Amino acid sequence: MTTGIPGWVPVEHRWFGLDRRSLKPALFVLIVALLLIYGWPALNAVIPWDNATKAGDVLDLGDGATAVPPVGWQLESGALVSDRTEVVPTQDDVKLAKGGTTIQMTGASFNGTAAQFLDQVLTSEDPEAHISGAPATLTTTSGLVGVVRSASGTGGDELLAAFKMSQSAPAAAPALLVDVSAVPGEFQQVSGEIEAFLRSITPGANE
Amino acid sequence: MTITTADAKAAQLEAIDESGWGARFTFFQPHNPAFWVYVIGVGAGAIGMIKYFGPGLGGTYRLAVTSGIVFFGIYLIPWLLFLRRQNRYTAQPGKLLATGFVWGAVAATFWIALPANTALLEIWTKLLGPAGANTWGAGFSAPIDEEWSKGLGLILLIALAPRLVRSAYDGFIIGAFIGLGFQVSEDILYAYNNATASFGVGQLESSLFILALRGFVGITSHALFSAVFCAGVMWILGRAPGERRVGRGILACLAAMFLHFAWDDASGLFRFSTFLTIVAPYLILMPLAIAVLLVVRRLASAKERTWMRELLAPEVEAGVIDPPLLDAVSGLHKDRRHFAKLVHNKRRARHLIETAHDLAQEIAVSAGHETPRVAHARAELLRLHRT
Repeated sequence: MTTGIPGWVPVEHRWFGLDRRSLKPALFVLIVALLLIYGWPALNAVIPWDNATKAGDVLDLGDGATAVPPVGWQLESGALVSDRTEVVPTQDDVKLAKGGTTIQMTGASFNGTAAQFLDQVLTSEDPEAHISGAPATLTTTSGLVGVVRSASGTGGDELLAAFKMSQSAPAAAPALLVDVSAVPGEFQQVSGEIEAFLRSITPGANE
Repeated sequence: MTITTADAKAAQLEAIDESGWGARFTFFQPHNPAFWVYVIGVGAGAIGMIKYFGPGLGGTYRLAVTSGIVFFGIYLIPWLLFLRRQNRYTAQPGKLLATGFVWGAVAATFWIALPANTALLEIWTKLLGPAGANTWGAGFSAPIDEEWSKGLGLILLIALAPRLVRSAYDGFIIGAFIGLGFQVSEDILYAYNNATASFGVGQLESSLFILALRGFVGITSHALFSAVFCAGVMWILGRAPGERRVGRGILACLAAMFLHFAWDDASGLFRFSTFLTIVAPYLILMPLAIAVLLVVRRLASAKERTWMRELLAPEVEAGVIDPPLLDAVSGLHKDRRHFAKLVHNKRRARHLIETAHDLAQEIAVSAGHETPRVAHARAELLRLHRT
């Protein structure tokens, strides 16, 4: 490689102080790495979402728990009951999106009440989130009692709803967090759909 | 001074030259473009790592991150001892292997695989739907992004140490170290993710759970996949005389990618049977992965074993090393076991093999010249023979 002294590059192989003989592998690595890092996101950006929810769709939240998604939202993560896949309530998330609003549903193992779970979520998350609204109760059509807190700011609106997915033994049941975030000015347009969605959540089949 | 035939000495010098054994590895090579790509990759990976763990480490998830680092740091020790034993024949210097390990732990994970996997998984979700992507997305993404990101580390090391990285076995060992770095880094990330999934409740238990789960399946994970993949890359490149086997190399790379895919998508592959979904990864995929590893290791070591025989041939002719010891030091596990039976003492057999290896290494470092260190290594071997 060199003329005997480590680091000494023969003059005919120099290019701006670099050894031209190593240029090819270095460029190969750089190009492949950049293709993987930026090529996939670029391709992802040009492929549109095409998985809109339809009337009659029912989300599978695992262990028999369900929710009815608003019609016309993109289901970006999660399974429908009709998919017949095995959903683990504490592992599989649901994500719905429409315009600048997203609904993220996350299950977790948690011993305690829905209010305690929401407190734990707020403690663990970004302190800058400024969830300042007072806790409110939300009862679903099936009778599940959840706790809701909301926040508004220059960055948009956020609503957090926490449930324990059992009416008979809520303390040991899996917890469910519904996180709705909307860009400024959009929450009011979808608030009716979101309320109907939250009220459609049902507990597991064992209830 | 030993007496050797000219042919044996010439073959010895050729083996030293071809294998590059004894060449020094210098990491800091500002004249080498590969050095700068390595620095960019590891630097960007380190920034990605800080961004990922930083908020958690400074707040709620400190216990999850620190316990993950401590647990998997301890988990690393038996792995390093195991891989050190595999680094035989024309052994690679520790500094070179550490350079590969860091690439796997920092650049391959946080610079390349993390953003690439995130985007590719979303592409599969758009194309297959969320349920389809949940079943197949990981297996369709990770073998491409992760095997390639780790393999790129080997290409850089070839450019950084062209004399040292020559044979398929060099690729096998370096690949194992790059993969081990990736594996440990990913394990710590999983410990952190698992804690965030429970919003910070029971972080220590969460890290222990990940240690138990990932520690066991780690036996046939990234270290294995990368060893097979990188041996394949070396066969494709054919950097040692007579070792260019493009078909075999492509097959090895595809085998590594298939094993990775099968492991990630076992629930999809065996979905016709709930029983198989649970047991197949352990009863079918793990043994299959180990079988592939052993076949690749055996094939990859052929050149190195030939070099070792050629390197020690003058010592055999001089009577310093007898043929059974030559077979053991340049052979496979069965040859070393056979030698131990001949010697009737496992410990003594191990010492003889290790001392013969020391002699080979000193001869390689001295480029075949007689030096005080070569003479000492030879004297040590003769001393052991006498005892």
